[in-house]
Amino acid sequence: MSTNEHGVTARHLTKMFGAALAVDDLSFTVARGEIYGLLGPNGAGKTTTLRMLAAILAPTSGSASLAGVDVARDPQAARRQLGFLTGSTGLYARLTGRELLRYFGRLHHMPEDAIAARTALLAGVLDLEGILAKRCEALSTGQRQRLSVARAVLHDPTVLILDEPTVGLDVLASRFLRDFVRAERDRGKAVIFSTHYLAEAELLCDRIGLLHRGRMLAEDTPGGLRARAGDASSLEEAFLRLVAGLTADPEVRP
Amino acid sequence: MKLRDVALVAGKELRETLRDRRTLTVMVLFPLVVYPLVSLLMAQVMASHAARGEARRSRVTVVGPVSVTESVRARLAADKSFAADVLAWDARANTTSDRASVEAGAVDAVVEVTPGAHGATRVRVVWDEARDESRQAHDRVGGALAGALAPGCGPLFTLEDDSVAPRARVGGYVLSKLLPLIVVVMIMLGAFYPAIDITAGERERGTLETILSAPVSRFDLMTGKVIAVATLSTVTGLLNMTSMSLTMVQGIHLVGGAASVTIPWTRAASTLIVVIPAAFLFASVMVAIGAMARSFKEAQTLLTPVYFLCFTPSLIAGLGDWDLAGAAAVVPGVNVTLLARDLILGTATLGRTLVVVASTLACGALALTLAARLYDSERLLAADDGTVGLGAWLRRLLGVGEARAAAPTAANRATPGQALALFGVAFVLMVGVFVPLQKWRLATGLAISQWVGLLGIVVVYARGTGRPLAEVLRVRRVPARAVLGALLVGASAWIVVGVLAQWLVPAPPELEESKRRFVVPADGSRGLVLSLALIALTPAVCEEALFRGAILRGLAAGLPRITAAVITGLLFGLFHLDLWRLLPTAMLGIALSLIALETDSILPSMLAHFTNNACLVILGYLGRDRSVDELGKPAQVAFLGVGLVVVLLGAACLRGTGRKATDL
Repeated sequence: MSTNEHGVTARHLTKMFGAALAVDDLSFTVARGEIYGLLGPNGAGKTTTLRMLAAILAPTSGSASLAGVDVARDPQAARRQLGFLTGSTGLYARLTGRELLRYFGRLHHMPEDAIAARTALLAGVLDLEGILAKRCEALSTGQRQRLSVARAVLHDPTVLILDEPTVGLDVLASRFLRDFVRAERDRGKAVIFSTHYLAEAELLCDRIGLLHRGRMLAEDTPGGLRARAGDASSLEEAFLRLVAGLTADPEVRP
Repeated sequence: MKLRDVALVAGKELRETLRDRRTLTVMVLFPLVVYPLVSLLMAQVMASHAARGEARRSRVTVVGPVSVTESVRARLAADKSFAADVLAWDARANTTSDRASVEAGAVDAVVEVTPGAHGATRVRVVWDEARDESRQAHDRVGGALAGALAPGCGPLFTLEDDSVAPRARVGGYVLSKLLPLIVVVMIMLGAFYPAIDITAGERERGTLETILSAPVSRFDLMTGKVIAVATLSTVTGLLNMTSMSLTMVQGIHLVGGAASVTIPWTRAASTLIVVIPAAFLFASVMVAIGAMARSFKEAQTLLTPVYFLCFTPSLIAGLGDWDLAGAAAVVPGVNVTLLARDLILGTATLGRTLVVVASTLACGALALTLAARLYDSERLLAADDGTVGLGAWLRRLLGVGEARAAAPTAANRATPGQALALFGVAFVLMVGVFVPLQKWRLATGLAISQWVGLLGIVVVYARGTGRPLAEVLRVRRVPARAVLGALLVGASAWIVVGVLAQWLVPAPPELEESKRRFVVPADGSRGLVLSLALIALTPAVCEEALFRGAILRGLAAGLPRITAAVITGLLFGLFHLDLWRLLPTAMLGIALSLIALETDSILPSMLAHFTNNACLVILGYLGRDRSVDELGKPAQVAFLGVGLVVVLLGAACLRGTGRKATDL
């Protein structure tokens, strides 16, 4: 399988912080036109994995590529293929929305007219009309999140990594964001969607990888995962059963 | 008000604050260790500088008819502060040529003597108000002549002043005393908050990860940040410079001296050459420090001492009238302050200006590279996990491989923190107790400080951590090869260290002399054996126990070996509280640390320390301890060469012996 067919490829990613193993030999692929859910309890290694994909952290061993570009070999080129949005990607409080988008557009070496065109387009899609002229510090949580999404997709990247994008959003805003992500998938993007809301993942994701203590516990479609856990009624139920099965297994470290 | 609640809150806040290691470091380590250390070293620099100024002889020409100049010449000749050979005598008073020779700096002052009314001789001192040597000569002539009374109780001389300096030069002189220091300090202050804001502030506001995920290299990112900070601090520096100059003019008007001073604006503006590289340097340093911090508060805590350390060299440079030459031209902070002064005085040369600018930019570039590396650090992002310790982070910073898996930490293991705390305690005792003790009775005081003080600290530490003393010190049996190696290093290290120190930081002769008198008391009150016990054996046991025992082992538990050895050596050098001995003792300390680590035992380093000191004592008693200075360059090079060969031989013997060391 050539990496070019994939949006994202992770091969044997491992990350150690001192003696602590945060991510342990993790491999998965995300195709273009697919939403891949990366789920797991706190401390499962989700954030570390996503940071390694974005070339923010260097893996202890293993490799990753985004849209066929090896992350370790050419981090800048890999990041150009990537839209990265996490709970800790804040906005510059003292810049206006428009200035912020222009700054990141230029960092991506976009031509000025392309920045203007994309900004106008996203302003329509993400309902940013009223907020582009305001400073980011003056925006509400929902407005900030929409502006963050615009920041992440401004350069029309092939790969989207969205870590907890709906945290702090109300029902309507979350719904709106999910629709946007689906639309991006349908435009051929490879999307990694990480969340604690299992119900949300079930609604949105085409495939799901369950992380537990840095390892891939199970990987399947939402329906497939429920079936594996003995026809659990929901993904949450399936997840609880899978983790319980793991800890009951004496072969596995406590 | 409920006292119980107040106490509860106070207790919790104290507990939380004290758990912040950095707060503790700044609260305890700085007042107790860094400030005394810096002020002591600064005092030594200033004292030696002042002594040199005092020792300088003024070059003065006395002119006038023999009948009246004779008494003036006699008085000046009696005063040892005038250079005798230039107490020239010239019958013709020619004010134009006198002024020219003072202006050109050929002499420091010309004393024109003419007969005056009422028996008093008229003395006109031609001097240059804008030159320190000339001011000194002027004051000395005044001091030598002013008090003299004629038999009739009238003054013997009437003194007149004639300064050759034009108004702009006087203005420049006054400005040169104030402006450089203030401008350099203001540039630093101008960099302080922006540097924190764009590094630690960025992290705190949650935009760090946003920018790290953008396709921009770390180095470009940091360069952009440093340029922004440098711009802000340049503006701060310029505004201060302008405002200072204007204030000075106003101030002089206010005190009524309007006619005497003007500001040399062109020269003041030429200090821009300094402002920009200095702003770049301080911006890079502060951004590098800020990049280490995880929060605004941590950055402030880290930067305050750095600010202090940056400020000290500028202060020293600003206070003394140093020459911008030799090492001073490449010491960051010192060089920019001195160059700014020379630019205002109009005495800067192109070559020196280039050296200063280039070395400042080079230091800035180094700090910038460091900043880029630090900003890349996992510690910034992984801090939330709390798993990346300072030790692992330091290893990463220094590029010594991947962070190794830390050994399981039992409660009673040595740590770098303990090592630094031990040094802190020893240092405070040194300043507060040992130094006064040794002032009281040199030999007795030294023996008490070492055997009771230093060894006592180690014993108390071992008991406190519940470990046997032999284990804390690592007293282990070593193969004969290691003993031979230690002997060879000890027998040659003092030559290498002595020659290098003489080349790099030559100590003033009076210090050399007092050191000699300490080793061999002039009154013969101490014999060779006693001196060997006091000066060789005592430090070999006690200083080694503390530095190569407890401190080195603590540092080595969390840091790479070389780093631990270098830090131990530097602490050892600082501990001696002597600027001139800082470099030699630090070099020796590093060598001894490497011996202790390589042999995995403290005994060889004790032996090497003893041999080193014993060589110096024996030479002293043989009367062959002339300072290296008197040897001449070829002999120095030869000694250094032979010394190095023997040191290397010793090192070869020591190599790998640690594996064969066994517990006693």
